[in-house]
Amino acid sequence: MEALLLKNFLRSKGLMTGLLILFVAGLISLNIGKHFLDKNKEIIEKTAHYQQESIAKNVEFHPKEIGLLLYYVRFGLVNDIPNLAGLAIGQRDINPSLQSVTIRNLEEQKYATDLMNPMYQMLGNMDFSFVLIYFFPLIIIAFCFNLISEEKEEGTWSLVLSQSGNPLKMLRIKILIRFVSVLLVLVLLLIIAKFYLAISFGAAFWAFILTAILYVVFWFALAWLVASFHKNSSQNALILLLSWVTLTIVVPAGINAITVNLYPVPEAFSTLLESRDGYHNKWDVPKEPTVAKFHQHYPQFSQFKHPEGKDYSWLWYYAMQQMGDDEAAKEALAFKEKLKKRNAFSSTAGMFFPSIHAQLSLNALSLSDMDNYLNFIEKLENFHEQKRLYFYPKIFTEAAVSEENWKKFGLEFYQEKPSLNWLKMLLPLLIISTLCVFWAKLKFRKNGI
Amino acid sequence: MRINILKLNSKQVWSSKIKNSSTLWLIGIFNVLLLFALFSGYKNLVNQQETVEHYSHEVRERWENRPDKHPHRMAHYGYVAFRNRFPLSFFDFGMDSYVGNAVFLEAHKQNTVNFSEASLSNGLLRFGEISAGMILQLLLPLLIFFWGFDLVAREREHGTLRILLTQGVSWQELILGKSLGLFALALSIFVPSVITGLILLIFNKFTSENLQSFLRFFFLIISYLAYFFILSVLAILVSAKAKSSKSALTSLIGFWLFFTLMLPKVSQVVGQNLFPSPSKIEFDTTVEQELIKQGDSHNPNDPHYKALKYSLLSTYKVDSTHKLPFNYSGYVMREGEKLSAETYKKHQATLVETYQKQQNVVRFTAFLNPYMAIKNLSMALSGTDYSAYNDFQNQAEDFRYKLAQTMNELQIKYIGNKVKTSADKKAIISKKHWSDLPDFHHQFLGLVEVFKNEIISIISLILWSLGLVFLVKYSIKNLKAF
Repeated sequence: MEALLLKNFLRSKGLMTGLLILFVAGLISLNIGKHFLDKNKEIIEKTAHYQQESIAKNVEFHPKEIGLLLYYVRFGLVNDIPNLAGLAIGQRDINPSLQSVTIRNLEEQKYATDLMNPMYQMLGNMDFSFVLIYFFPLIIIAFCFNLISEEKEEGTWSLVLSQSGNPLKMLRIKILIRFVSVLLVLVLLLIIAKFYLAISFGAAFWAFILTAILYVVFWFALAWLVASFHKNSSQNALILLLSWVTLTIVVPAGINAITVNLYPVPEAFSTLLESRDGYHNKWDVPKEPTVAKFHQHYPQFSQFKHPEGKDYSWLWYYAMQQMGDDEAAKEALAFKEKLKKRNAFSSTAGMFFPSIHAQLSLNALSLSDMDNYLNFIEKLENFHEQKRLYFYPKIFTEAAVSEENWKKFGLEFYQEKPSLNWLKMLLPLLIISTLCVFWAKLKFRKNGI
Repeated sequence: MRINILKLNSKQVWSSKIKNSSTLWLIGIFNVLLLFALFSGYKNLVNQQETVEHYSHEVRERWENRPDKHPHRMAHYGYVAFRNRFPLSFFDFGMDSYVGNAVFLEAHKQNTVNFSEASLSNGLLRFGEISAGMILQLLLPLLIFFWGFDLVAREREHGTLRILLTQGVSWQELILGKSLGLFALALSIFVPSVITGLILLIFNKFTSENLQSFLRFFFLIISYLAYFFILSVLAILVSAKAKSSKSALTSLIGFWLFFTLMLPKVSQVVGQNLFPSPSKIEFDTTVEQELIKQGDSHNPNDPHYKALKYSLLSTYKVDSTHKLPFNYSGYVMREGEKLSAETYKKHQATLVETYQKQQNVVRFTAFLNPYMAIKNLSMALSGTDYSAYNDFQNQAEDFRYKLAQTMNELQIKYIGNKVKTSADKKAIISKKHWSDLPDFHHQFLGLVEVFKNEIISIISLILWSLGLVFLVKYSIKNLKAF
C-alpha cells in the first residue's frame, strides 16, 4: 500500500508543481538574502576606507589643537551581521548596522538612520523566513485539505474502509509522504543556503533548522486536526485558509496594534529635547557649574581646571557636550525601558501563535531582532565612552596631534553571540503541535476512524 | 440589458447568501475587525497628534525663551520639527510607520528624520499592520472571492444555469447582476466602516484645520467602490469561465496570493536592482566631496572665499575685513550655507528621484494588479504615502535654511566686526529677535498634487473597471451553459 500511495503522490502533477513553486520561491529568497549580505559588506568596506581617509584629512586640516580635531573625527562601530541574517533579515533593513560617532554628545548621534526607500520597508523583504512563514503553510494546506475528503468525494473512501484493515494507517502514510516531501524541499533549501550564503554550522544554524522544521510540523499537525473533523473539501480549505490568514496576517497585526497603543513612546521626543537643551543652554550660563558637574561625573579629571577669566577652553566645551548626554540620561533610560517593555510584551504574546513565535525566534537567531539592536546601542554607548576616556586627558593636557597614531583607529566590530534558550524557542511550537495531534486522535476515535 | 433582471439576479445572490449563518458570521467578524482597526488607528493618531502638538509648543517656547546671545549660537541651538499626521491617516497607515517623525534642524547640517515607528518596534510590525485600509484592500477581496467563486459555476453544476438562460436571461444580465449582488455583500462590510470613519474624522479636533480631509475621504470612498466592483466582476467572470467551482476557487485564491503577496515584493526587489540607491555613508561622502571642491569656508586660503574677500575689500575700499561696515564672518557663513544647502538639495533631489523610479516599478504593476492601484491611491489620499513624507522633509529643510540664514543676517547686521568670541558683550543681541522667526508649521499636500502623484493608480482603476465591463459584453461567446 505504501508503494502505491507514494506512486500516486509522485504522479500528481499538482503536488509536484506545488513543491517546485516552493523550491523556486525559496531560491529567489536566498538570492535576496545574498544580495542583502553583499550590500552590507560593501557598505562596511566603503566606510572603513572612508573613515581612514576622513581621519587623515582632518588631521591635516587641524594639526594644532587635538580638541578641535576631535570635534570632527568620527569613529565607526559595526553591528556584525552573521550570514544567517541573509535568511531572516528582520529589523536589519530598518536599524542601521553601522554607526559612526564623534566623541561629542551621543544622544544627538545614536538614533541616526540610514537612507532607505520606505516603500521597501513597507512592502517588506522576501527573505527565506517570509517564504517559510507564509508560503510553506499554503502549500501544506494545498497538499492536505482533502486528505480524507477527496477519497469521500471521489467515492473511494468506502473502498478504503472495507479493504484496508486500518484506514487510519493509510491516512498516516498519506500525510507522512506529504510531510517528507515538504521537509525534503526545506532541507534542500537550507543546504543550498549553507553553501550559497556561507553559513557556518553552529548552534544558531541548528536551532534555525529545528525551528523551521517545527513550524512545518505545526502546519501538518493543524491539517491533520482539520482532517479529523471529516468535513468536505471546501470546508476544510476554508478552515485552513482562515487559520492561515488569522495566524500570519490578523493576529500579528492585532498584537502590534495593541503594543503600539499600550506603550506609546513620547520618550523619543523628550530625549531629543532634553539632550539638545542639556548641551546648548550651557553656552548661556556661567562656566563654573558646568565644569563642576563634569568633575562630579569624572572625578579622575578633577585636576584639569577651566583657566580663570578665559572665554573658552576645551575642557569647558566637552563638559558642555557631556551635559547633553547627562541631562538626557533619565529620559534616554526611560526610552530604552519602554522599548524593552514593547519587545517583551509582543514576544510573550507571540508565543501562543506559531507564526509570530517562529518569526521572532528566527530573527533572534539571525541577530536581526530588536534585542540585538538594543544590545548594539548599549555597546555603542560603551564604545563612545571608551573613546571619551581615551581622548579626554589628551584634550585637557593639549597633547600634540602628531603624537597620536591615527592610523590605528579603524572600524570596530560588535559581535553578539545569539542567546540560545532551546526550551523557550522550541517548546511553544512543540506543545501546540502536540495538542493538535492529540485533539485529532480524540476526534478520529470518536468518529470511529 | 434590463434593469429589473439585473436587480432580480443581484437580489437572488444577496438573499441566498444572507440566509446562510456563516455569511452573517463573516460579515460580523469583518465588521468587528474593521471597528478594532479604526478605533486603534484613531487612538494612535490622536495620541501622535497630541504628542506632536505638545512637543512643538515646547520647542517654540524654549526657542523664544533663550536669553540674549550671539545669533550663530541660536543657529546651532536650532529647532526640532515634528511630522504631523494627516487627519485621515487612521484609515490607511500606509508608510507612516516606516518614516521618521522628528528632525533636529541646525545650521550647516541636514540631519536625518528619526524615530520612525518601525525603529521602535520589533519584528512584529513586518507582518503588516491592521488598518481599515489593509482589511479592505487585502482581506475583503479574499472574502469576495469566497462568496463569489461558485455563484455561476455551481448553477452550472446543478443544471439551473441552463434553465435561467432558456428563460431569456442574457449572459450579460446574469454576470453583471450577480456581480452587483456580490458587490452589495461587500458593501455590508464597507458601509459601516465608512460611517465609523466619517464620525471619527468629524470628532478629531485637528480635522477642522484640514477641511480637505473630507474631500479626500469622499474620493477614498469612490476608489474603494471601484475596487470592490472590479473584484466582484472578476470573481463572477472567473466563476463563469471555470470548469468547476473548485477550479474557480483555486484560481481566485491563486490570483489573490500572486497579486497581493508575491508581485509587490518581487517588483520592489526588481525596482531596487534596476535603480540602485546610495547608502547614507555614500551619500554624505559625495555631498562632502562636492562641497570641498566648491570651497571650504573654514580654510583661510580657500580660493573661492579668498576671491569673495578681495571683491568685498575692493568694493568697500578698505584694506581689512575688520573695517567692513558689516560682520564679515556672518557674510561668509551666509555664503557657505547657501552653497552647502544648494548642493545638499541637488543630491537629495537625485536621491528622491531614484526612490521614485524604484517606486514606479511597483506603481506600474497596477495595470496588472488592481491591489497595487488601490493601495497606492488609498495611501496617497490618507496622507501616508511617500510624497507626503517627502513634502515634510522639504518643508523641514526649507525651514532649517531660513532659520540659519535669518541668524546669519542678524549677525551681519548687528554683530560688530572686531569681537573675538561669542561671549563678548558686543557679540550678543537681544532675545526679542528670536520670536521674529516664524514657527514651523507642517502643511499637508493639496488634493491636486495628490491626484497628480497617483495618476497611474487612477488610470489603472478606470481601465480595470471599463475593461471588465467590456469583457462582460464581448467575451461571453465562449461561455458554456453546461
